[in-house]
Amino acid sequence: MRKWFEVALGLVTGIGGFLEIGSIATASQAGAEFGFQLAWVLVVGTLGLAFLMEMTGRLAAVGKRTYTDQLRERFGLRFFLLPLMVVLVVSFLVLASEIGGVSLALEMATGIRYQWFAIPVALVGWILLWRGSFAVVEQGTAVLGLVSLVFLVAAVTLHPHWADVGAALRPSRPVHDRARYWYLAVSILGASISPYLFVFYSSGAIEDGWTPEYIGVNRATSALGNLFGGGLAIAALVAAAMVLAPAHIKADSVEHISRGLSSPLGRAGTMLFIATLCVTCFGATMEIVLSVAYMLAQGFGWAWSENLKPAKDARFSVAYSVIIVAAALLIAIGADPLVLTNISMVATAASLPLTVVPLGALMNDADVMMKYTNGWISNIVLAALIVISLVLFVVALPLQLLGGG
Amino acid sequence: MRRLLLVHDVLDLQLLDRHEDKIGRVDALVLEVHAGQPLRVKSILVGGSVRQERLGRPAVWLAAMLRRITRSRASGVSEISFDKVRRIADVVAVDVEAETLESEHVERWLSEHVVRRIPGGEGERK
Repeated sequence: MRKWFEVALGLVTGIGGFLEIGSIATASQAGAEFGFQLAWVLVVGTLGLAFLMEMTGRLAAVGKRTYTDQLRERFGLRFFLLPLMVVLVVSFLVLASEIGGVSLALEMATGIRYQWFAIPVALVGWILLWRGSFAVVEQGTAVLGLVSLVFLVAAVTLHPHWADVGAALRPSRPVHDRARYWYLAVSILGASISPYLFVFYSSGAIEDGWTPEYIGVNRATSALGNLFGGGLAIAALVAAAMVLAPAHIKADSVEHISRGLSSPLGRAGTMLFIATLCVTCFGATMEIVLSVAYMLAQGFGWAWSENLKPAKDARFSVAYSVIIVAAALLIAIGADPLVLTNISMVATAASLPLTVVPLGALMNDADVMMKYTNGWISNIVLAALIVISLVLFVVALPLQLLGGG
Repeated sequence: MRRLLLVHDVLDLQLLDRHEDKIGRVDALVLEVHAGQPLRVKSILVGGSVRQERLGRPAVWLAAMLRRITRSRASGVSEISFDKVRRIADVVAVDVEAETLESEHVERWLSEHVVRRIPGGEGERK
């Protein structure tokens, strides 16, 4: 019974947790500038993420330790420092973007400039972390995140030519603005596959006390959750392609992006867009700040758990407190959240080899995984993802310079 | 009998104290050399300068600078006798009290001077 509850929860998390400022912005930009054409990148990103989450969940359930623990133990202190630094920097940028996303939603709702909201948003988040438990953070944001289903409603209401959407799920090459096309493709992949998710998901598995019996639950939740989540991101792309592309409006501000919902659904669409942006970015804020603190604590062997009182894991609690406030400061001093979002999605994409390659080694290590090592399907997908991640690492910076404008 | 590879199976593992609380990771293992006798694992080192040396020169410099600023003389290293090891599996459990370890100094200081002074820091279990 409890397991079915976990599957349901995983589903809700997948639906409510997939969209955040990164995926909303990049999918909308893609739809506005290239119609349905980039939808296939969302398929690649979603499939990749589903497999990677299944692997990190299995790693935690079988090894009884998180991804970070095992990365640190198998590869040693010196090597660990590299992924640690990179994930810290990249996650910090993404975190600031998410706080910026909540702030932009509040600006749309009130008319007060977004900078003023950054610190209050961080404080609310901090209080929840300081006083709440892991279940509160995880389930609360997941359930509220269901409001993002509005993207699906909007996409259906707009009556797209579904055959064209279907055709776009197959990879194709751009006919115009090649650099911009591939830049958006890289951004979409970065928005789908974030290394903090491995840290968060495997730490969550340990917080919830997973054992090898949970392998089935893990497989179901990572597959179904991401299927629905990815579907929502495609819906966001479709809405932008139907509303923004014909009018030649770029998705370069949240007001523009919101038209994908307000055009088919009217005022309710705008309100639901604000709610979705606010809730999903806030959920992502909590996940990222916890992930960074988890990674530091696990890497250095500090006490950590969102279920302990802060005095029992002082370094962990101080770490998340400092990080959430520091990231909010970046927005408070006026960094543009959408520009930051694009930069951090590309940086995320470039950072993937450092986390995905070691994961590949761990998943095939029978010392750790016993009889649960990767099967051939997982290994083929993993190999493909490693190749993609290496390509992303090489092309990310040049594309940021050529197609970032 | 079970074979134990010191670097593969012990180094870098999570250390737990008497109450199963996390107290850092195994940063180094000390071997004892007595003429005419076989080598013996003497102790586990955790934290501070031992870890900084493993991290490399920038970490050593950074730590030295921090020590000068905070005027701290502590090395931050704890040595735990190998006799105290109770279990080696996916963690290393040792029969010591976290309170007595120099490597847990920062944790204690933050807990006392920062966390407990903020409302809700101490409170009941969540």
